[in-house]
Amino acid sequence: MIDRRRFLTTSALAATALAVPGLLTRAHAAGEALKIGIPVPISGAFAANGKFATMGALMAAEEVAAAHGVQASTLDLDTEGKPATAVRKVQDAMAQDGVKLFAGGILSSESLAMGKEIERGGGAFMTTAGADEITGVDCNKATFRWSVPTYGAINETVRPIIDALPDAKKWYTITPQYVFGDGLLNAAKDVFAEKGIEHVGNSYHSLTDKEFSGYLTNAIAAQPDVLLLLNFGAQSSDTLRQAVSFGLKQRMTIVVAWASGLEQFEALGPDICEGVYFGAQYWHGADTALNRELVAKVQEKHGSNPNYSFAGSYICAKLLLEAAVKAGSPEGAGVAAALRGLKYEGLTGAEEIRAADHQVIKDYYLLKGKAKADMANKDDYAEIISSGKSFLSPEDAGCAMPA
Amino acid sequence: MIYLFQVLNGIGLGMLYFLLAVGLSVVFGLLQFVNFAHGAFYLLGAYLTYDLTTRGFSFWLAMPMATLIVACIAAVIEALLLHRIYKLPHTFHILVTVGLALVIQEMVIIAWGPLGGSVPAPDGLQGVVIWGDFIYPQYRLFTIGLTAVLAGLLWWLLEGTRLGAIVRGGSESPSNMALLGYNTLRINTAVFGFGAGLAGLAGALAAPIRGVEPFMGIEALSVAFVVVVIGGMGSYTGALVAGLLVGVVQSVMTTLWPEGARLMIYIGMALVIALMPRGLLGRA
Repeated sequence: MIDRRRFLTTSALAATALAVPGLLTRAHAAGEALKIGIPVPISGAFAANGKFATMGALMAAEEVAAAHGVQASTLDLDTEGKPATAVRKVQDAMAQDGVKLFAGGILSSESLAMGKEIERGGGAFMTTAGADEITGVDCNKATFRWSVPTYGAINETVRPIIDALPDAKKWYTITPQYVFGDGLLNAAKDVFAEKGIEHVGNSYHSLTDKEFSGYLTNAIAAQPDVLLLLNFGAQSSDTLRQAVSFGLKQRMTIVVAWASGLEQFEALGPDICEGVYFGAQYWHGADTALNRELVAKVQEKHGSNPNYSFAGSYICAKLLLEAAVKAGSPEGAGVAAALRGLKYEGLTGAEEIRAADHQVIKDYYLLKGKAKADMANKDDYAEIISSGKSFLSPEDAGCAMPA
Repeated sequence: MIYLFQVLNGIGLGMLYFLLAVGLSVVFGLLQFVNFAHGAFYLLGAYLTYDLTTRGFSFWLAMPMATLIVACIAAVIEALLLHRIYKLPHTFHILVTVGLALVIQEMVIIAWGPLGGSVPAPDGLQGVVIWGDFIYPQYRLFTIGLTAVLAGLLWWLLEGTRLGAIVRGGSESPSNMALLGYNTLRINTAVFGFGAGLAGLAGALAAPIRGVEPFMGIEALSVAFVVVVIGGMGSYTGALVAGLLVGVVQSVMTTLWPEGARLMIYIGMALVIALMPRGLLGRA
């Protein structure tokens, strides 16, 4: 008979094996001229985001190869959403495959760790992760960021809603306890203080939580006018789904500050999304030239509309590869020089890479979920309420770019 | 007042945890088999319910169908593969069932995609119940009631029927049961299918609460193991007590120390191991 000690030991080993499959690393066409690493979670809780990200990067590589007559390929690196794994995969890609370009890092914690490693290795990295520190106090020569950081995300979601709902004076927040969540929470507190909003409570949760009924019970007890969800991906979907089942949509306004857009709406369905406000980095319905082009290409190739994970990875990979073509080399210094100060027509309209901190200046969208009856097609989950650019100056963000 | 609400919420959570863990506990107690594919059967139950309701089946039909399909799939796997490794060291049990869990997980992604989805609560249970300031979804109340009824039925089945006696006899002394003319291989297959079916039922019941996503089985497995270890391996009553304990501790801690709510269930497990090595109600 198995004894308790052996049972626990073997259980722990097996649980580790289950949680860390790492089976999905995929290399494309080894030995080609331009190779870009795509370090994203392809297994674990954020795997769905990672899988779309690899597809977006691949499309960008194919486009750059066709447009410039160069060979370009992607190397998928499964970070499992863990900083230590992400760093190890990046180190291996640089040492074994000679990769210098990296587009990825969906979670802030892994992006911060990878950015430092890629700088040490003489590469260039562009990410969609949100923590202010990435282009703030932890900025470095190699790291660029396409997405709007937490400061801008809060300012483009919370401010318009405060203006639209002047009687909603009490807000409650639910926050994941890591650098990204704290960034959103701190930015929200600043806006609350400025606008005279009462922050009636906050519940922190861990990155592994799936059950949010206890946190929602805390929120109900605080009787807020607005419930502001500051988590991301599957966790914000779980929180929102459970909040709706607790009838909170009828009792308060619900805001998801950082939604992943279409992929999240598909998983939730229109009944849950209806009437909920979502902050979004990207929306396939945005009326810009590059976005219309991308939507057409993705519909033709994959038969679907691009989502945030796909589009974010696509634009990061495209910018890096084109910069490498312009520089004539994938070495980090040349790529960074080509990117700094670049102005271009991006997915959200006019975009610019700010030279001082490597932050892309772009629009952030406030969406509102539509009723099922109002949807023009299966992906028409939300309407754009507003969009705009909100960024701290490089000095206020704390970026002292190394020479 | 908030703590009373959290205790009530915790009881609801705990009943789901019990249903999730009891199948694992029954299989371990009767077969001495460590099944790391248990979470995958929970995942399968949830996805089958999602699939059937998406195709227009009523939830009331989808839930038992999903449970039955999972039980049948598990029984076939046991009959074709798992019974061959019962006599091998437990390392082999773990290797094979972890592999099986990964295969099921990847098949779910291939069949239904990586995004996940939502399952609406059945008609008539989509509202909430309001007691003063406390709000609770009707569907969650229903799961508490159903799980309580299932817990009673399960106890009666295992302890009060001839079938239960045969199953318990098979676990204590397979050779004696064989001498009495019982087919112990078939009993094992049935017990394994039954345990997996309970996991499938837990997945089906959890789908309207949690939605479905391809990695939900891993989280479910970890909770099931915590409950089984705290309650005592193989103990039916232990699974019930531990499930409720874990649910209440997790829920109350979301008010006392929110960021440590999940951590507390593992600290609780460590404490039980240190103070009561056989678990709260485990067998010697």
